[in-house]
Order: sequence, then C-alpha cells, then structure tokens
Amino acid sequence: MGSLVENMSNCSVSSHDRVISPSNQNFFQLIVTIESAHLKSNGGLIRPHPYVELNIDDYKRHKTEVLKNTYQPKWNEEFTVLVTPYSILHYRVLDYCKFQKDVLIAEKNISLYDILSNYNGICDNLELTIDLMRPRHHDHLASSSSSSNNFVKVGELITILSGFQVDMSLVLNPSRESGLSDGEFSTGVRARNRNSSTAASTDPNTSNRHTNNALTHNNIRHPQSSAHNSAEESCTITVHHQSGPVSVTLPIEEPLPPGWEMRFDAYGRQYYVDHNTKSTSWEKPQPLPCGWELRRDNRGRIYYVDHNTRTTTWQRPNVERLQHYQHWQGERAHVVQQGNQRFLYPQHALGTGSGPNNNNTSRQTPGVPVTPVVEEEDRMGQLPNGWEKRIQPDGRCYFVNHKSRITQWEDPRTQGTELIIDNSDLPTGWEVRKTTDGVRYFVDHNTHTTTFEDPRTQVPPIQCSAGPYGVPAAYERSFRWKLSQFRYLCQSNAISSHVKITVSRQTLFEDSYHQIMRSPAYEMRKRLYIVFRGEEGLDYGGVSREWFFLLSHEVLNPMYCLFEYANKNNYSLQINPASYVNPDHLLYFKFIGRFIAMALYHGRFIYSGFTMPFYKRMLNKKLTMKDIESIDPEFYNSLVWVRDNNLEESDIEMYFGVDFEVLGQVVHHELIENGDKVKVTDVNKDEYIRLMTEWRMTRGIEEQTQALLDGFNEVVALEWLKYFDERELELMLCGMQEIDVEDWQLHTIYRHYNRTSKQINWFWQFVKQADNEKRARLLQFVTGTCRVPVGGFAELMGSNGAQRFCIEKVGKETWLPRSHTCFNRLDLPPYKSYDQLVEKLNYAIEETEGFAQE
Amino acid sequence: MAATRRLQKELADIRDSGLKSFRDIQVDETNILAWQGLILPENPPYNKGAFRIEINFPAEYPFKPPKINFKTKIYHPNIDEKGQVCLPIISAENWKPATKADQVIQALIALVNDPEPEHPLRAELAEEYLKDRKKFFKNAEEYAKKFGEKRPSD
Repeated sequence: MGSLVENMSNCSVSSHDRVISPSNQNFFQLIVTIESAHLKSNGGLIRPHPYVELNIDDYKRHKTEVLKNTYQPKWNEEFTVLVTPYSILHYRVLDYCKFQKDVLIAEKNISLYDILSNYNGICDNLELTIDLMRPRHHDHLASSSSSSNNFVKVGELITILSGFQVDMSLVLNPSRESGLSDGEFSTGVRARNRNSSTAASTDPNTSNRHTNNALTHNNIRHPQSSAHNSAEESCTITVHHQSGPVSVTLPIEEPLPPGWEMRFDAYGRQYYVDHNTKSTSWEKPQPLPCGWELRRDNRGRIYYVDHNTRTTTWQRPNVERLQHYQHWQGERAHVVQQGNQRFLYPQHALGTGSGPNNNNTSRQTPGVPVTPVVEEEDRMGQLPNGWEKRIQPDGRCYFVNHKSRITQWEDPRTQGTELIIDNSDLPTGWEVRKTTDGVRYFVDHNTHTTTFEDPRTQVPPIQCSAGPYGVPAAYERSFRWKLSQFRYLCQSNAISSHVKITVSRQTLFEDSYHQIMRSPAYEMRKRLYIVFRGEEGLDYGGVSREWFFLLSHEVLNPMYCLFEYANKNNYSLQINPASYVNPDHLLYFKFIGRFIAMALYHGRFIYSGFTMPFYKRMLNKKLTMKDIESIDPEFYNSLVWVRDNNLEESDIEMYFGVDFEVLGQVVHHELIENGDKVKVTDVNKDEYIRLMTEWRMTRGIEEQTQALLDGFNEVVALEWLKYFDERELELMLCGMQEIDVEDWQLHTIYRHYNRTSKQINWFWQFVKQADNEKRARLLQFVTGTCRVPVGGFAELMGSNGAQRFCIEKVGKETWLPRSHTCFNRLDLPPYKSYDQLVEKLNYAIEETEGFAQE
Repeated sequence: MAATRRLQKELADIRDSGLKSFRDIQVDETNILAWQGLILPENPPYNKGAFRIEINFPAEYPFKPPKINFKTKIYHPNIDEKGQVCLPIISAENWKPATKADQVIQALIALVNDPEPEHPLRAELAEEYLKDRKKFFKNAEEYAKKFGEKRPSD
C-alpha cells in the first residue's frame, strides 16, 4: 500500500477526470427479464392493467405487454439492452388506462455498478426483488401498511439480470455525482443468484466474500462503507491508475450497436432489428468500434465515418474487417521496403552482359553496395550531353540534367528501356550494338549482316523444332523471351511526351483516381511523371515506382470494400462480391484496370497480387474445377464428390439452381433455363459441374471484373498478354523477391517423410541450385503465389490460418508432383534419383495445366 | 431457392419418421435455413433433460455443411460454453453433399449420449469424465436438471 499512498496526491486530480461517465463508456449487452410483480390490492373493484417500462440511462425505453385485471402480473419478457457498468436501470410499473394518462404505480432506480460490485462483475441469472414504493399522498393503490418515511410499499417487482460480465478490476468507482444517493441498492432491493447451488436468498455481502479473491478485494466497494471512507476510495482509484489506462474488458456477449435491437420471433428465435436502416437480420450485428459513426449522405445512403483515421467507408465495420484493416495498416510500413526488394531477374544476372541495356542499378536492393562509379561508367559509356552523375551522402546515385535542371534516380542511359532485353535472349550468333546516335541495331555474325529489326520479334524461316512463334520451342517458352515480346509491343505503341500525375500522400487514392480517369486512357502510355506534392524528388523512375507500390497497396484498403483476401489466404486478392456497397465501385474497378495495365506497361510492380483464377480470367483462359480449390476448398470438395459418386444411390436432391449469400442477402441463380426444375443426375452431372464451376468463379463479381478488364484494355490490349500464363503474369505484375532458402527450409514440415529422407535432401539441393525465378515458380506452384510474407516462411498462411510449407510423400515415382495451394502442400512422390526428382519438379512447375489432375 | 427444395424434403422426412430423440422441430416458413429442435438423449446423465439445439444451413447447402449450436447449457466434454459443438460429420474435410440433416442429428445425439473425451472442446470436463466418472455424472445431471428443458411426455 505504501506506494499507492505516495501516488495518491498525484492522481487525485486526474482521477476525477478519468472517471468515465455512462454516456461515453463502452456499451455492453445485458439481458433484463421482467418476470412478475405482486401488487397489493387496494380492495377496490377495479383491478389494475399493469405493465412495466424500463429505461436505461434515460435513453432506451422498453415496455412489457399490458396485462389485464390483475394484481399478480407475470410478464416474463426479456429485453436485451445496452448498458455501461455505470448505467442506471429505471423500472416504472404503470397501470394502463384506456381513456386517460396511464397511472404510475411505482418506480425504482437501480445502479448497475452497485450490483456489479456486489457480484464481482457478473450478472448471470441474478434475480432482483424490488420493493415498489410510492409517496403516501398518492393514495391510488394505497395500502394500510405504515412506513417510517413518507413512502408506502405497494408491491414487489421481480426482475432478472443476465448475460453480463465485466472485469471489476478494470471498472473505476463511479463519481458519486451520478445522481444516485448512496445505499440505494441496499434499501428495498434484494438480490439472489439463481445459478448458485444454495437456492436460498443470500445476503449480497456474504456472496461477496465467497466470490472475491484477495486481489480484487481492494476494488470492491462495500455498499455499506462506501459512503464514509473517502480515503479508501481514492486508494482504489490509485490502484487503477497504476494498472494503466482505463479500459473495460470485453464481456462474453458482445453488445448491440446503438439503434439495434434483439427480438424473438414466434418460434423464440433471436433476430435483430436495425432501426437505423429499418432492416432485420438473423445475424448478430457487431457494434461500431470506438471512434466510428454512422452517417447518411445527402441521398440518404448510409456510410460510416472513422474518426480515428478520418476516413469513411460504405461497409459497416465489423471485427473481421477491422482485423483486415489493421493487418493492412501494418503492411504499410513495409510497402516501400518491399518495393525496393522486388525485381524480375536474379540479382547476380544483372550487369553481366556488355550492352547498356543490361544495367539496372535502379532495381538494386538497398543493401547491395553501389558499384564504383568509374567501373560503371566504363561499362555504360558516356552520359548524354548535359547530364551529370552524383552520389548522395548515403551512397545512392542520382542524375542531374543541367539543361532542364532536373534530377532523377534513374540513369538516363537506361531510362525507357528498363525491361532488360539482353544478349542472352538473342539467337546464337547475334549481338546488339548501338549507332553513334544511340540507335539500337543487331549484328548477325552468322551471316555477317546488320539490321535494325529485332530478330526476336521476326518470324524467321521455318525450322524443324520451331514453335508457333518461329523460334525453338524451348526458347520460346522462356519467360524472358515472352517478356521481350511484350516489351516490344509496348515500345512500338509508346506515345511521345509525358503525362504528369500530381498526388498528395494523404489523398493518394483520390488524387490518382481523378487524374487517371479524366485523361484519355492512351495517355497512360506516355512516360510517367509522378510528383508527390510538396516533395523535391524530381524523377521519373524512383518516384513512379514508389507511387505504383503505394497506390496498389492503397486500393486494397479493406475499407474500400473493392477487394477481399481470397479464402483467408492472406496474400491473394479477389474482387469482393459485396463491393456494390460502394455506389461507384465499377468506376473504381475501371480505374484499377487502367492502373494495372500501366504497371505492366511501364514495367513497375504492384504490392499484392491476385488469385490465379483472376489472372486466368485476364488471359481469357477457361477456368477449371481445380481452380475453385484455391479459393473455396469446401465447395471444391463437394463438386469432386458429385463427380465421383453415384447420385442415384445417394438421393442428393439437387437441381440446376443455386444460391449464395452476399451481405446477408441470398442471391438465387438458375444454371440453365428453368433449372430449378431440373434435377441433377448421373447423366447430366458433367454439365452441372461445368456450369457450377463457371458460376462459382464469376458469381457476384462479373460486372466488376468486366469493368476492370475494360479499364485495362484501354491502356494495354489484353491481347498482348497472350504469351504468358497466369503464373508469369503474377511474376510480371508483382516482381520477384530474394527468397531466403534457409528460412524456407527451417519452416517446412513433412508428412511421411522426415528431414533426413533422401528425397527431402534432394529437394533442398534442387532449391539451392535453382535461380530465383525457379524458386519463385516452385513457391508459386505450391502456395499459389510467389510472394513470401513479410515475416518470412514462419508466417505462411493457408486457407485455415497459419499453414507451414509442407512436403508429403504421395504416390509412385512415375507420378508428377502435385500441389494443394490452400494447404501450402507439395505432394512429392518417392523418386528414385536426384535427376528424376529434378526432371519431374521442373516439368510440374513449368507446365501450368493438366498435370495436377493426373 | 436451391437449398429450400432439399431442406423441405429433409424436414418432411424427419417429421414423418417421428424420431423419439429429436422433437419439437420448429422452422419458420419464411426461412427454412434455420431450424430448432429438442434433443432427448437416452443415456445417463443426459436423460434427465431435453436440450434445445439450433441448426443453421448456409445458402449454399448442401455444398456447404450446416452449423449446430446448443441453446441449452450442457455439461459435456464435446460442447463448449457457447454451445458450439465439434461434430466430425459436418467438418470441412468430411462434409459430403449427400449427408442429410437427419444423419447429422443422429450423429449429434450419439455424441451427446457417448462423449468422446479424446477430442474434447472442454479439456477439463474430458479429464473429469476420464478420471472421476461419478463426479462427472453428478455434475452433468445437475446441469441437465437445472438448465435442461422438460422432456415432453408421450
């Protein structure tokens, strides 16, 4: 106690301020049952029509039914009310009169705090018997019993409090200015716990002693002694101050938000009425979190204001959404760092060629030491006239253009040709050179000729092993080759001059949206010139890279409701079927389509990728049943069951009609005309599965997807993506990052293998020898994405929460490896040799279709 | 409504079969996705009361399994304080579109009759069940009497 006393003087002033008044306290749910009353007869002929009115803090009024002609009313009505630990429950027993104002029989205020402090913060089936007292001079229902004061007892009211629990050590003693006189609880109210084994009525003080442990005892205000011992009270407050900020722990039952009410239907089932929106729901609403407010716009639409962050959203925030939001906010700190770590080619391959196109300093990881200027100068040739290279104190290089007085991070010699087209992509015997004017040309040493035409985009004479694009098939499959094709298309469609986009960091989304949408889409193919308002960094490269990364993270803000994480897997995004809560969502999707196209066009990366099925949709590829597994494994399993089982035997009673739920509303769809009348049978089930697959992958998101693709197509023809498969599209859009194999190995688990199994040793040998692209593709094959969580492999998520990378022994050596992306699991057959394992793994990760279902 | 048709049939079948251990089935005509009913276990200590359960079917039923909740408090190792129950037949891994509500209810009653302390939701009850069966029975019976609903007599 010594230290507590010492602190007393400091805290005594502030303690008063910190006592929380009922009005701004967190709300909790309390179930109040008004059971019955015993009213004294006044001996007259007319019996009362009693009912009870319950007010909480003069705010919410609940009424029981009026019971006719009785002195022994039994209402047994339950009300769920919102209270604070300091609420006053105001019971009024009234007599209903048809032709005049109802007559008050008696009323009583009950301080919830007093009850809580006597029952250790728990109201669970707590019965209160309240003496109904009335001033003497109202002799309406008067009885003859005398009382020492001016009140007479006219009856008793029995009420039950339930469903409330609060940690009393965190509830401050309320200031006594709350308007209640001390001891009110102790006079005229008897309490007993109906749950306790001793059915007899217990004195609250006795029960106190039983339930309190030594620790909490300090915090319990003794009802009798509270009035006098003010020193003790201050002590109590001091204790709380020492234990940190005032807060009340969440009770088991979450409270209802203001304006909501719980009701029971004719079957006794709970449902919820939202008086704000005049709607009902079976599902219990979550209260608005602290600092949130519901508002209506001038068209009467409801939206929500978050005063904490000064943002608004159309969708009602709930616990899950807030968790996502917090997760999203947490990412913010890493966004830029992540952006600097992304690249498309392995670091060690950079700068090894001889042409200027091979240099890519701007993509170097921050940790990598900058190559000495002189060496680089040698390799790159002279800077253009008027340019100068400088080095910042932190060692980072930048370039100054003395003619235009502009500085930039990006090397002017590599600018605009950022996506490397290096010599290794050229057919054997070819080389890239530049004229004295800096125009690129190609030397064919085989024929001793030169040309300005890039041999990689030409269709040479047919060769025996040529693929459809006229180059050897194996080469054509290489990602780099495809990328150069795409680059070529971009370059040949480039538009001269630049487009300036000025944004403020605080309003990044809105600023970007307005500027991108008000310009013609083709302008987005001009060189980008991004300016963050109020910041010096004049630049084309570095700033736009940052802009792409920040903005792509911003559109994921869960509060915009545009995208959602697919299937609890925390990385991949899909369009949120509920996005329509944002009335302008289609315009936003169009904007995002443009933006994604810009990222690909300008060779920039976005923070987070989409689901594989989404990329397939962009590529106009047919979605298969297997694609459902990555976004909804439960649904997928059911489809598989339908496919693999005899339906006639199982009496499955399914039709060509389906439902799903968005924001509490069931949306119905017929897969074929009159599908509700067509039963699924073994004969037509293939058709059913096909239609179900199509529906599952598009339901509720078709319009949005179309808007996004339209926006994309305005900037970059979707046709240009035809070279790629969905995994390459992800690599292109998100870039790769250095993968820490040690961390990967450390956080991998095995099933039917162990750490020392020879196949497992071979597997890690394979991973260690692979380059980054291959590692990324292997990871993508197993987890569905090439990205590693910020916290490393330990934080890998699957469809059911944390899910480590797992290798399981499955099948025979003739099989190909398979993967289950929702469980981050690789099914690795027990191969007989290292070479066999390498061959099969390579095959599996290069091929995108067909292998998995074998 | 896709789920409706099947659920109407299932409900009619269940009502017709006149299950002794599942009674008082209440379904709102406007929302067939939510059922309530009373289960009447036969084995002690749960044969001292009736327990109200709620079955909620998702809109995607039978592609997705229903969820079960106890509305009546019950002292049982596999049913937690909130009334949640861990029933393998409706878990994500085991669910089959051919599984009927009737089978789910039967499985539930079987679980109530014979607790599975190996997969408890309430470890302390499972321990008591294994170590002091007498005490467990006494507690469970007391609970059943105190919170359980009256068993309809017929």
